[in-house]
Formats: sequence, structure tokens, C-alpha cells
Amino acid sequence: MHVTVHVVGEDAHEVDLPDPTYGDLIAAVDLNPHEATVLVDGRPVPEDAPVEHDEVRVLRLIKGG
Amino acid sequence: MERFVLTPAVRDALVTHAREGSPEEVCGVLGGRERRDGDPARVTRVERVPNVAATPETRYQLDPAAQFEALQTVEDDGDDVVGFYHSHPRGPAGPSATDEAQATWPDAVYCIVSLAEAEPRLGAWRWTGERFDSLVVSVE
Repeated sequence: MHVTVHVVGEDAHEVDLPDPTYGDLIAAVDLNPHEATVLVDGRPVPEDAPVEHDEVRVLRLIKGG
Repeated sequence: MERFVLTPAVRDALVTHAREGSPEEVCGVLGGRERRDGDPARVTRVERVPNVAATPETRYQLDPAAQFEALQTVEDDGDDVVGFYHSHPRGPAGPSATDEAQATWPDAVYCIVSLAEAEPRLGAWRWTGERFDSLVVSVE
């Protein structure tokens, strides 16, 4: 599946993966689920869900303590 | 050392938000003008974002959907996303070990409002991707 992954605040990446999950897309842009989430229509989607959109955004999470 | 400028209204807004949220940590997005052409970064606006951490008295996490919306709002208005802020209701004044371990946005400014002392303390650091570099905060 071909997916355009827009990393918010950075560049877009063209990713080709067989049957990816949203977590696979995060890994494809060298991030991990602890530090980023995938947004579809502005809302987070579960990382283990199969990808159903050919264009998504990846947002770096801002957290700490 | 790099300078970092806040307007008085922004400083007041950050302190107010921190006090309103205490004893929980509060957080949000800083907007304005990023450093450019020899001029320091200047924050002129604050976008509050809900803290969705499981233990908000000691942790913060910007609600992802609200964070994205705040970033879009800042950029749609023609401003730069300068960075993010959060509060430490009981200190420390600087980044905690958790802050360092979980920082994710290279080149962003992380501003912290500490309420640990009688007077609120406001500090700022730029995350390089590997460490926090201290900034000199000016309110003007």
C-alpha cells in the first residue's frame, strides 16, 4: 500500500508497505508510538489498526513531567 | 547564550494558566516569531491545550487532537510555532529527568512555569534533539 505520511512541522514521506498498521507508518518515518501518533482527520488512530487512508499525518507527542 | 523574548501579556497568561491548573500541570503551544535574521524568538500568543496525562499532578501530555488544532491555528494566522509550555506546580524550575527523556520536537523551545517558590519562575530551553540548551528569557 502506498501512503503519504506528513510529519507535522516537517516533510512528507512516501511510504510503500504491505498491509501496514498505523504503527508501521510511525516506524517508517523513524519514530516510535511512544513519541508520535497518527492523525486521520485531525484525530488520533490506534497504532495497531490497519491503514485505511492513503494520506495521514504523524504528530510528535509533547509530554513530560 | 540565545535570547528568548516573551511579551508581558504572554508571561501573565502562562502564570495565570499555571496557577489555575495547580496542583495539576498545565500545558500548551507558544506562537509568535521564531528566531530569524539575528533576532531572537519572540512569543506573542499562547494556545492552551488540555493535559491528558494519566497522572496530571506530576506529568503532562498535550491532547494530540487539540495540539494539532492549536498548531494549525497559529500557522493559519501567519505566526510561527515557537514551542510549547508546561507548568511545575511544585518545581523544579528547570526540565526534569522526565522532560529530558520524553522531549520529542527538535529545535522547539520548551518553556516551564514553576510555582515552587513565592514568585513564579519562568524559564525556557531549546531542545536540540539530544539536550536542552538554556535560553535567556526577556519579558518585553
